[in-house]
Amino acid sequence: MGRWWVVALSEAVHGDKALAVTCEGEQLAVFRDGKGAVFALEDRCPHRRVPLSPGPVKAGGLQCPYHGWTFDGATGLCNDIPNLRRDERVPARYAVRAFPAAEANGFIHVWRGAGTPAAVLPGASYRAAGREQTGSAVANIAFEQYLDVMLDGPECLVSFPGVHITDFFLGDPRRDGEHLVLDRGAVWKCKGNGPAFVRDHSLWVRTRVPLRGGDIRVELLSADEEPLVTIFIAASENRRGTTSLVWRGFRHATAAPLSWRWRMARAIGRAPFAIFPHIDGAAVAALEVAPSRDRRLAKTDARTPAERVVPVQERCAV
Amino acid sequence: MSEVPMMDAAGREAEATSKRDWVPINLDLRDTWFPVAYSADIGERAVRRIVHAQDVYLWRDGGRLYAAEFRPDRLEAMRAGASAFTNGSGFYPAVERYGYIWTWYGNPDNAHEELIPNIPFLPPDGQGIPRYTQRAVRFDAASPLSVENLIDLTHADFLHANAIGDSQSENDVVEVHSTSETVTRIRNVTRKSVAPVMRWIGGVRAQYQDLRAVLHVHLRNNVCISYPNFTPGYPIPNVQPFVPVGKHRSRVDQTNYTVHAPAPFRWLMPRISYVIQPQDNSVLRPQNARYFESTERRDLSSRFDGPGNRYRLLMVRLAERQQRGDFGYGADADPSADISAVLGMRG
Ligand code: FES
Ligand SMILES: [Fe+2]
Repeated sequence: MGRWWVVALSEAVHGDKALAVTCEGEQLAVFRDGKGAVFALEDRCPHRRVPLSPGPVKAGGLQCPYHGWTFDGATGLCNDIPNLRRDERVPARYAVRAFPAAEANGFIHVWRGAGTPAAVLPGASYRAAGREQTGSAVANIAFEQYLDVMLDGPECLVSFPGVHITDFFLGDPRRDGEHLVLDRGAVWKCKGNGPAFVRDHSLWVRTRVPLRGGDIRVELLSADEEPLVTIFIAASENRRGTTSLVWRGFRHATAAPLSWRWRMARAIGRAPFAIFPHIDGAAVAALEVAPSRDRRLAKTDARTPAERVVPVQERCAV
Repeated sequence: MSEVPMMDAAGREAEATSKRDWVPINLDLRDTWFPVAYSADIGERAVRRIVHAQDVYLWRDGGRLYAAEFRPDRLEAMRAGASAFTNGSGFYPAVERYGYIWTWYGNPDNAHEELIPNIPFLPPDGQGIPRYTQRAVRFDAASPLSVENLIDLTHADFLHANAIGDSQSENDVVEVHSTSETVTRIRNVTRKSVAPVMRWIGGVRAQYQDLRAVLHVHLRNNVCISYPNFTPGYPIPNVQPFVPVGKHRSRVDQTNYTVHAPAPFRWLMPRISYVIQPQDNSVLRPQNARYFESTERRDLSSRFDGPGNRYRLLMVRLAERQQRGDFGYGADADPSADISAVLGMRG
């Protein structure tokens, strides 16, 4: 069964140019027609294998930059080979692979794999309520590792200015449908005697990581679990062990007690979070495999009850 | 409208070819001369060139030319490791002609000078070929893909639109001829709009001109000999030998023989390759990588690919013949035969 992947920010695809993206290791060309509808084609011309994405978008679809064959966005069918006579027609089987594409809340999704595209888009779970900060990057870490590190050590992947994310996580990951959710303690920097001495953490960082697919949610919460920052990060396998990232996030309006730094940063319009495109290899390598173990097990174990990740006896086995 | 009348004879040939494996990256044709360097580029200091991932060191000593598998200072120490390409001597057969140094790639016993391609517009002894006609460019693809790019006429309107101008013309006819060792593509265009470069610096004031362009390709060594003749105007004969460096790269020491064209066109025209080459490379580089993929999905073709697909077919045939151990030249092949009539040279 296939699934939806977020491949781009809505605002990154515009005009008569296509955007080259990589999803599940495969290169795609994403573009819009004159009416704004979005399409995704395999980024490989069936004529002489050249990438289509550098070509212009024409009325009939995306035009290959090499010889001008043009492909319909919805069907992938080749509808123009330049210089044909009027009585000549392009054979019906001349086509490039086309992928269903859809948009929600500022994310462009592509359906990959078998089956009818699911009605619910991953990006539908994100709703901005505040000024957004968005971005995209290719991170120097493999896709599955990115998801695992989001559980084992999210401080290697994201930061909130003025916030120290501790590695004290609460219990084991909770299963929430097709996701694992884990909270960990965080403290304001330069407040008190440092994270080791706090009796109770003043903040939480909650990561919600998929078993399959690439939709991640990271939240900074107050001690009362009131959201301060929400980030939706879409990850997908890029080439050579790298990971494509696309994100949107925002700072919530809140009455929760905040550090002076946080208020200052908000006042001068500083970004409320950062996503790292360059990941510290030494820091990642030093992480113990801890909650991500549950993710790997849950991925392979179809019998897992929805509310528990792994039956106890199985966890003791091996 | 009915379907597929697009498949005329050339189209059907294209179809037939594309059903076969086309693996341009692995073609390694033997027993041929490669123009590995301009004669003028080689002096006493050894220069390293590569043919099919194999080293060729070139230098002169006491007026003599040497082409060896090893650098001169290591030659004695390494000679024991010399390959069959030099019969264990370490030295390749080498000949100077048309301003190039040609080295033999294959069994040295079969290295005959008559197998060097005839280039009728260049002086055989290379004397008086101006240096401004010689430009070395590099392509990020195996040689056969670059040759296909040269044979292929339809990409110019898209990839080179800004450099070459539009393709408006009254009539545009392409024919292909071939032997077991060559492909010849002849293009006749009547009343085409004069290319901007010819109008502005080439002294052609007319609005329209006719073009007869002949491209003659030698399959084994990828030597492409071109004779585009413009009326009104003049011919711009050129040689583009795609020397295979390996499965991913090729090197071309071009000779754009513009000596009969007016100044400053004569000097500027050879530089156009520095505009064209990056444009071609932008498609060749990703293309080449994708020809390493499994060939389950064969390339689709249109009738405009007739000449290119003929080239593919002949290359595959030649490779198959060599796989069977037959490295000889067929009765229909004589590389050194005078091709001035084939090229349509006047006088
Ligand atoms: S490679 Fe795309 S049209 Fe030729
Ligand atoms: Fe070209």
